[in-house]
Amino acid sequence: MIAIIGLVVGVVLGLFLTPDVPLSMEPYLPIAVVAALDAVFGAFRAFLDGIFDDKVFVVSFISNVLIAAMIVFLGDKLGVGAQLSTGVVVVLGIRIFSNVAAIRRHIFHA
Amino acid sequence: MGLLDYLTTHAMDEDYEFVSERRQRAEARGEAIEKAPSRSRIGLIGALVMALFAVLVVTAAVQTSRNSVSDEKERRELVGQVDQARAQVDGDRSRLIALQQEVRRLQTRQLSNDTSAKGVLDTIKLLGMRAGTLPVRGPGVRVVADDAKGADSARNEVLDSDLQKLVNGLWEAGAEAISLNGQRLTNLSTIRLAGNAITVNAHSLRRPYVVQAIGNKDTLPARFAETTSGQAWLDLQREVGLRLKITPESSLRLPAAEVSLRYANQKKPGGAS
Repeated sequence: MIAIIGLVVGVVLGLFLTPDVPLSMEPYLPIAVVAALDAVFGAFRAFLDGIFDDKVFVVSFISNVLIAAMIVFLGDKLGVGAQLSTGVVVVLGIRIFSNVAAIRRHIFHA
Repeated sequence: MGLLDYLTTHAMDEDYEFVSERRQRAEARGEAIEKAPSRSRIGLIGALVMALFAVLVVTAAVQTSRNSVSDEKERRELVGQVDQARAQVDGDRSRLIALQQEVRRLQTRQLSNDTSAKGVLDTIKLLGMRAGTLPVRGPGVRVVADDAKGADSARNEVLDSDLQKLVNGLWEAGAEAISLNGQRLTNLSTIRLAGNAITVNAHSLRRPYVVQAIGNKDTLPARFAETTSGQAWLDLQREVGLRLKITPESSLRLPAAEVSLRYANQKKPGGAS
């Protein structure tokens, strides 16, 4: 329940403040969002599994976002930014899909 | 497939299991190591992270939509500018043509009054026809040059140098005015390859190349065949199969070329020679 409240508060904050993203950070935002999505789905699955832990969630969320942004940054510096972003998105996408599959099994018992 | 298997089996962070196992072990030993809220409850920190997540998503979405809107606006603006510039060029060009006609008409009216001016007018006309700034008509030949049938390489296509030869040969054979695909050749004209197309007077031409030459229609073909350029073209026809057809015409009309001098000035009368 408190998680949903946090989500709603975050949406409202984002819509009202519309923080300006610095131009240098702009390419890393989408990949950071995908990484965050992965962390959130992983946390939801853990919650349904009954092994959710606040600390792990915080750590996995922040490290996911930072690592994803760092990989893209490194790729940009090496000239393979687009390819590395694709790699990151593929890996995170697979993780998200299998996490969602597990969540589905929990909810529908199917 | 090891990587994919690993990805699907370890989709969830292992830390969750690790921590829960550690806690279970601790509980089994009967020690309350951490004063954590009962397991599997989302605490304040979790909610904060969720809020952070929502802010992140909303910001990314807002940014993307804002960017796409500004991109679209920029594109439309550019298209508008291009259209405007094009319309301006069209208007200027038609105005230029009208003014040129006006100049010619006024010249004629002004100079046709007395007889000495009539001579000047005739000289102007003659010079205009020779320079290519006045349209001319007269008998001559129509020459159609084309690539070999099924041409696939530069070897059996008409090149700019071939057209240069053709035009040079026609001048040599006594042509008095020549146009190439409707582009009148002047003393400032070039025939050159620009990109993939042969360009004359800064206009790109397409095959077949139609050369219209005003001159003696009976002697032009024969005299052209005698020139070195004519010989070269004969070789081209025989060796690589380029096509060349010369037909005499009793009346040809050649358009005028647009020639504007920007740097060349007439010497001032009375100035040091």
